[in-house]
Amino acid sequence: MAAPRPTGVPRPTLLILIAAALTLLTLQYRGVEPLGAFQRGVRDVIEPLRTATDRVVSPARSAWNGLMDYDDLRAENERLADELARMRGRRLSAEANEELLERLLGEVDIGFADLETVVVRILGTPPGNFTTHTIEVDKGSDDGLAEGMPVVTGGGLVGRLESVDRARSVVRLATHPEFRVGVRLVGSQDEGLARGGGRTGFLVIDAGVRADAIVEAGEVVVTSGGRSRFPADIPVGRVLDPDGGSDFQREIVVEPSASLENLSFLNVLLVAEERTFDPSVLLDPGERSG
Amino acid sequence: MTGRFRVLALLLTAAVLQATLFDEVRIDGVSVECLLLVSVLAGFHGGPERGATVAFLAGLLHDSVGSTPLGVHALVYAPMAAMAGHLSVRLADGARALAVTGLAVAVMVGVAAAAGVGALFGLHPAGGVDLATTAVIAALSTVVVAAPTSRVVRWAVTGGLPIDISLTEGSAADGSSGR
Repeated sequence: MAAPRPTGVPRPTLLILIAAALTLLTLQYRGVEPLGAFQRGVRDVIEPLRTATDRVVSPARSAWNGLMDYDDLRAENERLADELARMRGRRLSAEANEELLERLLGEVDIGFADLETVVVRILGTPPGNFTTHTIEVDKGSDDGLAEGMPVVTGGGLVGRLESVDRARSVVRLATHPEFRVGVRLVGSQDEGLARGGGRTGFLVIDAGVRADAIVEAGEVVVTSGGRSRFPADIPVGRVLDPDGGSDFQREIVVEPSASLENLSFLNVLLVAEERTFDPSVLLDPGERSG
Repeated sequence: MTGRFRVLALLLTAAVLQATLFDEVRIDGVSVECLLLVSVLAGFHGGPERGATVAFLAGLLHDSVGSTPLGVHALVYAPMAAMAGHLSVRLADGARALAVTGLAVAVMVGVAAAAGVGALFGLHPAGGVDLATTAVIAALSTVVVAAPTSRVVRWAVTGGLPIDISLTEGSAADGSSGR
């Protein structure tokens, strides 16, 4: 016997739901704030449940990760042991360099940049199979974090905070195709705009640098500062391919200095989201007061 | 517990599991699509209309938990549930293998469709071979947890009652068909 048709007429309901979804998407695409607040609210509501469940499933998770990533963990352990040995060797020369740097800074009367940071622990990727080039961290607005703040490690720039809830945040990595940062090539002093290279794992400087600028492979790239949300002189990486033969649009490939894999902890720089240029800083103190 | 509270409890539980257990227990970086599974099963057990409504809410929850624009998953999940609802009434009782295959295909299509919709709205989900691999692994891992989930979803969307009660034919609930 054939099963009967379900009750009701499904089409109007489905059409209404599709129209509602498209409307929501369009509104959010246009930046209607209540929708973002709604999403943050949902995440904040389920946050205690997530935290409690995290604790309960932690042993199962550890067992699973140990099972699935055993080889990776062993390789990582060996890599860290090698790195520790190299770092011990470098420490002595670093101490000497630091002393020299402090002496030079004192001579030229430049204050060393001392930005306040918050250390965050990486929780993993955001839920689902959808998001790429983003990671979730364990602190949020309750700890003073805000959207747009730069995220770094000792190695350099990692990304910026994309969304901030009360107790968690999502970091957009520097390799994300939508990531943009103003950069300066330390050797040539040329400035340009770098974007994330997506799956390549690199950054690409594709705007701002002159086609005839002399850029060497291995040249250090740092943030340019200025009106950017990123403070100046954060290491970004080294030039991998200067794309010197390009006649039209130059695309300089940069290898990130901060390893974006196998990270555990990150630093969030507590700087304002966007800094505006204040012309009065160009005036002498006497002129300013006058 | 009323039907609406059952559905709310189901969706919240699925969202929390998606964000915790299934987010961590990944195979090759791919996790179980818990909320998509709930959506498809809601259509299967609850019929196209009720399934689509539950799936729409599941999609909104997925978008909120996963920090994707509100509507991306809701736009995909509702039609998937409606389709599952339509197909379920054409499946003979006991065609379990066919139902499982259909579920796997539905998850694959759902993952790919969500990526497509996301790309249309300026996101950068995985594409090409990566997307195909993600869809296949997600489908296989989701099917593994389908059996226990199916019972819970059935309880939530039907409350154990038949979907259709025919007052004209005299016998109740042939349409519930014991699924």
